[in-house]
Amino acid sequence: MAINKKALQCAIALAGVSAFALTACTGPTGGTTSNGSGSTASTIAYGTTDKVTALDPAGSYDNGSFMVMNQIFPFLLNSKPGGADPVPDIAESASFTKPTEYTVKLKSDLKWANGHTLDSKDVKFSFDRQVKIKDPSGPSSLLTNIASISTPDAQTVVFTLKQANDQTFAQILSSPAGPIVDDEVFPADKLLSDEDIVKAKAFHGQYTIESYNKNTLISLKPYADYKGVLDKPANGGATIKYYTDQSNMKLDVQQGNLDVANRSLSATDIEDLKKDSKVKVHVGPGGEMRYIVFNYNVMPFGAKTADADPAKAHAVRQAMANLVDRQAIADQVYKGTYLPLWSNVPSGFLGANESFKDLYGQDGKPSPDKAKKVLADAGVTTPVTIKLQYNPDHYGKSSGDEYAMVKDQLEKDGLFKVELQSTEWVTYNKASKADTYPVHQLGWFPDFSDPDNYLTPFFPKGGFMNNHYSNPEVDKLIAKQLTESDKAAREKDIQDVQKLLAEDISTLPLLQGAQVAVAGASVKGVDSTLDASFKFRLGSVSK
Amino acid sequence: MSETTTAALQPPAPRKAPLLDRLPVTSHIRQSVGLQRTMLLIGVSLTGLFLLAAVFAPLLAPYGYAQISDASGTFPAQAAPGGKHPWGTTVGGYDVLSRVLWGSQTAATVIVVSVAMSIFVGVALGLLSGYFGGWLDRILVVIADAIYAFPSLLLAIVMSIVISQGQSSFWGGILACSISITVVFVPQYFRVIRAETIRLKAEPFVESAMVVGASSWRIMGRHIFKNATRTLPLIFTLNSSEAILTLAGLGFLGFGIEPTSAAEWGFDLNKALADTTSGIWWTGVFPGVAIVLSVLGLTLMGESMNDLNDPRLRGRRAAGSKRSGGKAKKAGKP
Amino acid sequence: MATLIEAETPDVLGPAAPKRGAGGVGRYILVRFLLIFPTIFILVTLVFFLMRITGDPITAALGGRLPQDQLDARIHEAGYDRPILVQYFEYLGQIATGNFGVTLSDRRPVIEMLATFGTATLELAINALVVALLIGIPLGMVAAHRRDRTPDAVLRFFAILCYATPVFFAGLLLKLTFSVALGWLPVSGRASTNTELAMSQLAAPSGIYWLDAIRSGNFQALGDIAAHAVLPAVALGLLTAGVFLRLVRTNLIGTLGKDYVEAGRSRGVSEFRLVTKHAYKPALIPIITVMGLQIALLLGGAVLTETTFEWKGLGFQLAQYLTARDFVAVQGIVMLLAVIVAVTNFVVDILAAIIDPRVRY
Repeated sequence: MAINKKALQCAIALAGVSAFALTACTGPTGGTTSNGSGSTASTIAYGTTDKVTALDPAGSYDNGSFMVMNQIFPFLLNSKPGGADPVPDIAESASFTKPTEYTVKLKSDLKWANGHTLDSKDVKFSFDRQVKIKDPSGPSSLLTNIASISTPDAQTVVFTLKQANDQTFAQILSSPAGPIVDDEVFPADKLLSDEDIVKAKAFHGQYTIESYNKNTLISLKPYADYKGVLDKPANGGATIKYYTDQSNMKLDVQQGNLDVANRSLSATDIEDLKKDSKVKVHVGPGGEMRYIVFNYNVMPFGAKTADADPAKAHAVRQAMANLVDRQAIADQVYKGTYLPLWSNVPSGFLGANESFKDLYGQDGKPSPDKAKKVLADAGVTTPVTIKLQYNPDHYGKSSGDEYAMVKDQLEKDGLFKVELQSTEWVTYNKASKADTYPVHQLGWFPDFSDPDNYLTPFFPKGGFMNNHYSNPEVDKLIAKQLTESDKAAREKDIQDVQKLLAEDISTLPLLQGAQVAVAGASVKGVDSTLDASFKFRLGSVSK
Repeated sequence: MSETTTAALQPPAPRKAPLLDRLPVTSHIRQSVGLQRTMLLIGVSLTGLFLLAAVFAPLLAPYGYAQISDASGTFPAQAAPGGKHPWGTTVGGYDVLSRVLWGSQTAATVIVVSVAMSIFVGVALGLLSGYFGGWLDRILVVIADAIYAFPSLLLAIVMSIVISQGQSSFWGGILACSISITVVFVPQYFRVIRAETIRLKAEPFVESAMVVGASSWRIMGRHIFKNATRTLPLIFTLNSSEAILTLAGLGFLGFGIEPTSAAEWGFDLNKALADTTSGIWWTGVFPGVAIVLSVLGLTLMGESMNDLNDPRLRGRRAAGSKRSGGKAKKAGKP
Repeated sequence: MATLIEAETPDVLGPAAPKRGAGGVGRYILVRFLLIFPTIFILVTLVFFLMRITGDPITAALGGRLPQDQLDARIHEAGYDRPILVQYFEYLGQIATGNFGVTLSDRRPVIEMLATFGTATLELAINALVVALLIGIPLGMVAAHRRDRTPDAVLRFFAILCYATPVFFAGLLLKLTFSVALGWLPVSGRASTNTELAMSQLAAPSGIYWLDAIRSGNFQALGDIAAHAVLPAVALGLLTAGVFLRLVRTNLIGTLGKDYVEAGRSRGVSEFRLVTKHAYKPALIPIITVMGLQIALLLGGAVLTETTFEWKGLGFQLAQYLTARDFVAVQGIVMLLAVIVAVTNFVVDILAAIIDPRVRY
């Protein structure tokens, strides 16, 4: 027993060492200290599954980061709850003074939360900085049209543009590339960490950040000297709680631990929450789009296949457009959280129409007869074998169900034989742009709320998808609408281009997402901020 | 403690019984008594059920694993159990019963592929390492220890991302999962075989055989094979259960096989998370119970076999006989 | 597998370890200590190259919105298109100087990220270990004592059931029962919003919430933290409890048959005292050894538990960073795990060597 006792003591001693080694690796957490002013009853709790990449506008280009920026940073132009039209935010006025000159006049006496002055120097600094840093995960690519920025006086900023009359420029100033930052806090050539931004109180938005625990919990306090276009917050403060599992967020909003749950809940959760009287499901227009891309080189009868034949390839695309049942997918897989999308420009945007509904199917229902006819007319022998690729991890867990339905719909009448395949996102993305996938799934979330964001990135020269689609007429119309300052003429151009696109079918639009937020039954103001700007303004919500 | 450890490794007990009784499972059933026999039998029957489902899934399942419609139209989404769908349907319209049955086939395939690959690679490396020794041995041991000590599920996740590039077919998915699991298992087989090889290399009869000119490879191969047949069935059952759990864990975290390529329990359970909080219990409970029962069966079988190999743990009447070495118990689980 | 062999029957490793002359414990400890470094080095190297094969963080984040030439420009800007060996040696140089970098997908200094999530995982692991010990040891003693009778059968079945139930399934069932149906316990997270805020306002938090709550005397928060801790700890603890139960049973059965226990029995020592004192103490040594080895098991199980219960810890975060192809973060986490695992293995091996000198090699 003596030996045993000694061994036991050694064991305990060494276990202690091991435990020490463990704690040694884990220092104190990076919590921020603050004066802890009491936020009272009307503080609202907001939950999301999005993530923050960085609070520094130069270093992030995603919804999660942008949502927080919208609460704490000023924009030259921003939109008011209920609409997506950019109106001056910390600016007094903003407009084209020459075709290539966009002049912004700032409001006077603007102050950052730390007391620094906010003037034209900050504005020039913010945009120059983004372009200079050119961070790999930043939005600097949205600013390519800026040639130079000058500041004649402390209140005036003049943007010189490369392309005249850029109709999207006002939107870009309210996009992820648009937040203005404090030039006395942010370095000009590198990013500033979230903690340092919070510590320096470099805010001028409806809120300032009170305490910051990245991707766990953010506590916001109204900023008294905010001079932007938005109203004073309707609440006494807000917390943003980050979730990783949708069902946990759902249970928390049901049990009253959250006032608002937004982006994103699963369709099943939302349907179930609709039946719960303690919460209310709010739905607003959404800009998210889900679509199928055809690669003009490698799709059946594509330009680089053995039996290349543009007419037959076109017939295959038309037949597919005739067979997909958008409504069925929206209802079964997404329980109405997505709506059928009948054009490349989603409804709610300037000029959006239903060009695919007019050309294909029967009153929005699939039409096997039309599909059969178009294939027969082109001399295509059926069934056509299609390799259909989708990605299971980037566009939500339901992609698998969605594409199982697409496959089922295409095969139902014996016209197609679909080989469904899925690939993990990074590989998928590389392969899809490298002519590996004949037909594949993609999704889109707009950078800013303008129809051009659904055209220019996609179609001229095959777009970012690199699908080898080319139609000079389409390119010309898209270029024209971009600089057309007459709204009615622009609307007409956008309608015309959709018609052309529906005839060619470079991509096959399937579904349009709705913004869905679930709030406690007594929570007010959610509907007003669920607008086409896709900006959730916490300041609108109260309870 | 020193008393317990004096008995060094003994050669296996002399063989006598007919072949049937020497087969792993049957011999164990014969040896067992009372409680141990009950546990073993429960384990064997659950495992049998699992294997039956796996082999006859195409016949037993009413629909295909990715089937969402039949002649009478598209299946309803999240239909409660009953009627055409005895265990209900999922949000995508899949038939739960069919997917659970097909899932057993996926699990069984992954087990067979992963354990077979592990044995092959592990035995080969163990032999090499033990026989040649030196730097090769040291490097392999350090690598094996490093991999072995690392949390297996985390390793499997990294591997599945490396391997699954571009693969989404049934076999692509199966192979990705199997190789991920293999990477985790190889060090275990490696250790056992290496230890055995080193022990045998020092045996006088091997040396004398070498002196007479007989190939030492042949001799060692024979002995190791003999020893392996004694311990491997046990490792096999225990690793099988770990393979199911790792596969399910991968699927649960979204690194597994897509539903259109194969039915996989962990994936279905992951998809069912949203359902369970909405009162839709059938999409999660059935695949979950399938995992539990098949792992339970395999583990009960392995445990009972292990106890029967260990005289300290065998039924009391049998206590006191010679102990057999080299048995394995497992600790790892994702 | 081998972990348990070493602990239960150290002699099995005997043949694997050709006995060397009198090396001395000191020398063995030194050699074994030096082996820690190649272990860490190998894992870090493996992960470095594996991660580079799987793609880059820029495509993962922006692939769906930018054309390939713009992506390539960004990849070039970040330096990911340089020769892999150049990047590898640069990385080695960085970690040699203690520079672990800043994560790519959420821009945190790696050290700080590890501190934040590491403490969360540590807290979960400690909680789970407590549950496992509280369940495993007493039940294992009962099973050994009532060996081959009904309680033994039930308990052994329970132990195997614990092992056979995936953590996420157990977690789901627990959550549905105790927080959804009964409403007794919170659904997820480490603490409620107010407690989280209180915790983040502490001057020098340890990161382990219950410790911080006690230190700051905030007992309302402590109650809240305890309520949040129960379900995750039970889900993860049950998994380990099964292992402990079996281990205690096996080792107790071994020692119960020993001469000195028989002697005690013949002297009229009560059976309860025999189990809890005489037989239990020697059986404890392998159990303590295995406890160390459970670290790897707990870390693995933690990924699934953390996901189910929204517990923001290392394992869960690793899965997230992997999806984002965040090289820097993944390498940092793997490095930390490798250190933990290598150090625990070192300790366990030293223990085994002290307990049984023949294990040394």
